[in-house]
Amino acid sequence: MDRTVEMTKQFVFKGASQMPMISVSLGHMDWNKTGAWRAQRPFYEDKTSPCSAACPVGNDIVGFIQKITEEDFEGAWNLIREENPFPGVCGRVCFHPCESKCNRREYDEPIAIHALERFVSDFASNLNKKIRKGPGARKNKIAVIGSGPAGMSCAYHLAKLDYDVTVFESSSLAGGMLRTGIPSYRLPKDVLDREISNIAELGVEIRTGIPFGEGLNLDGLKNYQAIFIATGAHRGRDLHVPGGKGRGVFSGLDLLKKINLGRKVTLGDKIAIVGGGNTAIDVARSVVRLGKKATILYRRSKEEMPAFGEEMVEALEEGVKIRYLVNPIRIQQKDSLHRLECLRMELGEKDESGRRKPVPIPGSNFFFEADNVIIAAGEEVELFFLPKGLEKREGIVLTQRDGNTGARGIFAGGDLTSNQRTVAHAIGSGKKVALAIDCYLNGKDSEEALRQILTGEGPSISMFRYLHPQERLMNPHVVTFDELNTDYFEPSRRQRETKDLIKKRIKGFREITSGFTEGIAMEEAERCFSCGTCVGCENCYVFCPDASIIKIGEVLSHQVDYDFCKGCGICFSECPRGVISLKEEAR
Amino acid sequence: MKKMEIPLSENLGHGHLACAGCGAAVSMRLTLKALGEKTVMIFPASCWSIIPGFWPYSSIRIPVVHAGFVTGGATASGVRAALDIRGDHETVVAVWAGDGATFDIGLQALSGAAERNEDFIYICNDNEGYMNTGTQRSSATPLFAWTTTTPVTKPKENPKKDIMAIMADHQIPYAATATIAYPEDLLRKVEKARSIRGTRFIHLLSPCSPGWRIPSEITIKVSRLAVRSRVFPLYEIENGISYTIREEPHVVPVKEYLRLQGRFSHLTDLEIEVIQENVERTWERLTRKASLKLK
Amino acid sequence: MKKVITGNQAVAYGVILSRVDVISAYPITPQTTIVEELSELTASGRMKTVFLKVESEHSAMAALIGASTGGVRCFTATSSHGLAYMHEMLHWASGARLPIVLVNVNRAIAPPWNIWSDQSDSLSQRDTGWVQLYCEHNQEVLDTVLQAYRIAESVKLPVMVVLDAYVLSHTSEPVEIPTAEEVDAFLPPYCPEYTIDTQEPMAFSTIATPDHFLEFRYKIQKAMEQVPEIAKKVNDEFRSRFNRGYGAIERYGKEEADILLMTSGTVTGTSRIVVEKLNRKGYDVCGLKIKRFRPFPVEEICKEIKGAKKVAIIDRNLSAGVGGIFAQELRASLYSREKRPQIFGFVSGLGGRDITPELIEEAIQYTVDHPQPEEEILWLGLKK
Repeated sequence: MDRTVEMTKQFVFKGASQMPMISVSLGHMDWNKTGAWRAQRPFYEDKTSPCSAACPVGNDIVGFIQKITEEDFEGAWNLIREENPFPGVCGRVCFHPCESKCNRREYDEPIAIHALERFVSDFASNLNKKIRKGPGARKNKIAVIGSGPAGMSCAYHLAKLDYDVTVFESSSLAGGMLRTGIPSYRLPKDVLDREISNIAELGVEIRTGIPFGEGLNLDGLKNYQAIFIATGAHRGRDLHVPGGKGRGVFSGLDLLKKINLGRKVTLGDKIAIVGGGNTAIDVARSVVRLGKKATILYRRSKEEMPAFGEEMVEALEEGVKIRYLVNPIRIQQKDSLHRLECLRMELGEKDESGRRKPVPIPGSNFFFEADNVIIAAGEEVELFFLPKGLEKREGIVLTQRDGNTGARGIFAGGDLTSNQRTVAHAIGSGKKVALAIDCYLNGKDSEEALRQILTGEGPSISMFRYLHPQERLMNPHVVTFDELNTDYFEPSRRQRETKDLIKKRIKGFREITSGFTEGIAMEEAERCFSCGTCVGCENCYVFCPDASIIKIGEVLSHQVDYDFCKGCGICFSECPRGVISLKEEAR
Repeated sequence: MKKMEIPLSENLGHGHLACAGCGAAVSMRLTLKALGEKTVMIFPASCWSIIPGFWPYSSIRIPVVHAGFVTGGATASGVRAALDIRGDHETVVAVWAGDGATFDIGLQALSGAAERNEDFIYICNDNEGYMNTGTQRSSATPLFAWTTTTPVTKPKENPKKDIMAIMADHQIPYAATATIAYPEDLLRKVEKARSIRGTRFIHLLSPCSPGWRIPSEITIKVSRLAVRSRVFPLYEIENGISYTIREEPHVVPVKEYLRLQGRFSHLTDLEIEVIQENVERTWERLTRKASLKLK
Repeated sequence: MKKVITGNQAVAYGVILSRVDVISAYPITPQTTIVEELSELTASGRMKTVFLKVESEHSAMAALIGASTGGVRCFTATSSHGLAYMHEMLHWASGARLPIVLVNVNRAIAPPWNIWSDQSDSLSQRDTGWVQLYCEHNQEVLDTVLQAYRIAESVKLPVMVVLDAYVLSHTSEPVEIPTAEEVDAFLPPYCPEYTIDTQEPMAFSTIATPDHFLEFRYKIQKAMEQVPEIAKKVNDEFRSRFNRGYGAIERYGKEEADILLMTSGTVTGTSRIVVEKLNRKGYDVCGLKIKRFRPFPVEEICKEIKGAKKVAIIDRNLSAGVGGIFAQELRASLYSREKRPQIFGFVSGLGGRDITPELIEEAIQYTVDHPQPEEEILWLGLKK
């Protein structure tokens, strides 16, 4: 009886004369299709990971992290760049909602996804690879107004779709808020320049020094088949208190812009900063690096402060002082000194933002003295230069879901159209509009297209799936922690990027963190559960009692042998990452 | 995540008659991968008299000798003698016997063979009861467990026999416990056993879905919890004296293990406490044996 | 070479000459000297044989089943309780069609404990599918062992060779021991039809449903039915090589007589003298030695009945509720035949009580005096 031959023949014996002398076996049981026993059927189905679902940029996070575990860093970079032209930026400044949703946080500590993204971009910078230029023949011309993250992301994706893109930037350098609003110790300028030049090398023309509304208006853009307005929100909100516009009182955004563009800044010694967001922190830490003392005055408590947690920790380490529950009501000036009359606050009911409203405590007035006062109480959009016909409400421009303003061929996005003012949202917005413009110019339904490519429930979208609708198919169900089998993971600490000594940090504007080494990056990447995506651990293959998980050579085929699978559910149970689903067997 | 190193050979073909989710089928499949093709396996009466299939079919792709219930140790001795006389010193003789055949009715033959240090690997596939005949108690059935002969009104009154201690006291070269939730450990032990001459004994815990009253999909999980709760520690004994215990970093209370199984659903808190104490005492005794040094 | 040896020693010689590969045995009186002889011989290296010193008779047979499945020639010896203990495995050996030879020294089964000659042990196993051959003297013991392997390996059934406790096992008689060359010419090496082969793996003794089981049993019966012819051929060849032989039955005394005396085992030796004496006195009696019990030599017996009106058959065994087993088999086999003499079933000698010439005479006398037996079971030498 040859082992290699699959004996599917069923023996039929007419009688004793045909039978062997003893009950010795003559064939195998392959003819016995035990699949008929099944009441439930397992199947492989990639599902959405919570990190990818939460990412406003639409990164395939599980995908790129897996490439890092395989030591394919270039592959990781290519994967990120399918969705995001700014990994070096995001890895440094994004508020990483992915990490807040990472399932590992319920086991021990979430994956340091931002650090891995940064690692990949740093690695790529050493590759010195030339990004391919688009093919010769170009499609329609598109104008992008504003070279911030939204505008550049849109330009990038349009260029990859073979459009002829021109970006108009009012200031002398491209980058928008990335350039002017974020200090170099958080986002080094060379990183930003490199990622912008990567975009330019796709054939995107960036024309700086051309402000919209002055040097440029809609008439001048008649040759462009579509326009994307992504001018951002660069104007600091006024404090609306007496003395709020006096000498020596500056807007935080203006100050940061000056510092970031290398212009001279004159400040006194003691600086008061009013506000609680990232801008306030950025301002505080920047002035510390200029040798000044910084105190932040914030009207709510620490828990409500919108600035990123790590930023606050670093700020405090660097000597920034933060006073909570104080609100200036008047700024008096005496020579070069400023006296802020402040009221102490207490927290009342929740307001529309979901945070408890600060309520002044009557009679709690006190004075705070500073040489300069910096107002970092939020940013607003400039609306005066915008074309007529755009709907505005409560400080933003309204658009349809795909970014269409309603005016023919005019789209808007980024901080201009949203109160979710983060780099990641802006990048995501630019991508979405690129897609919308592509639909618009080809008579496709952008709503439908967007719906097809949502990651999870959205709003995260995947450009890859837009371009390859039949590939990387994924169930929009987001994998939860209890759908995992954590028996296969060892608890381990999250890796941390090393930071410079505090006294070194505040000496200048150099980047304070060092990225992961290759070894550390791979170790951290190994911690990723890879929720919803098979990594080939082969538990299913090992534990199947009926050898019904099919491998092709050394790798899983992701096929179940339904002829023999008895539907026991062991594969479903032992998949660490919820890739296998069970459904009732139809009869 | 690294995948486990598991040989690709399949010598337990599909189409076999084991229940869906059978722990023993996983055990057999993995064991055969480690034993390889140059093996002859003896099957004393057990579920495995049926599982490979009815005549004229067999789903096991190595030579098999079905044998009487009692006869594992004896039949293996004879097969080994025959192979040696024929000049085949390469083919390994293995026995695959249930806990009934090992702990109870076949203990004599096993003991006799072990005392003579006969050259075979004896694998006890322990599902803690006479499962082929419908879940009757054996001396491998754990304390307080339900079986059809130890009903809920009078569950098993005696603790599980310590078969590893019995085998160790025969001074055989190698004895080890293993279970399916730790496949690489199981493979390593079978491969190690394969490389040694003399009587080698592997005590393999295989959860039984119908017999333990567990849903078939948690077969592996229950096996893992048996180890984590220290109900079934993983260890090796060489030459009856040298103990190597695998440290399990994630120890859980026995309750975690017991509550998943219908055969323990009638347990009172006091009974669970007793089991916990017994487990701890046994563990302590085991670790003490492991730390004994020869003078 | 002629030697004066005991029955047990004769067995040992038979085993050596048969070039047995695996022996597996457990000691029990009065088989022990077989085992001891063979231990010496295997330990000394004179026999290249593996001797598995198992811990019970059940394991002895199980080990041989394993070894025989592995394709080598096997042997064991036992007696009484040991044989009874093996019972499950005796069934297995024949079901698996393994040509194992077992020597059983007939001994009574307890209680009460009794170590002396009694055929109840071997006959209790008559339904296990083994060929059973009984021996009258030590030469026959040695020769039957040699023939047993030929028969077993031809029909693929196990064979039991039986000798009386003490009367043969521990009694010395002159025995012609053939040379190794002579036996090799008679008994070729064992060539199994199926064996363990990792290149062509198969499962032995797989479970069979009612759809097939009947046919497997049918085949065993058919094999048994071949035994008479094959045993005769083997014996004819043996006779031509060694100038001696043993039929399934053997007639002695007159060519034809009114009364047939049927015996087996050593009783035959005593009966020969009695029959001769009675013939001289004018009794119309002749003797029939039964060598083969299973399959019962019906044809052969029918041929020898000729004109006999009565058969006196002596059983050194008892199946309680039935009587003598040879008698029962005889009655059953003659029932459908043409010639059906009266059968006088005598039971005697249980537990080793001597079956003396006087007792045999008494039996014959009883047979002469009565037209038919007055009872189903005629107890010979019973002290009421």
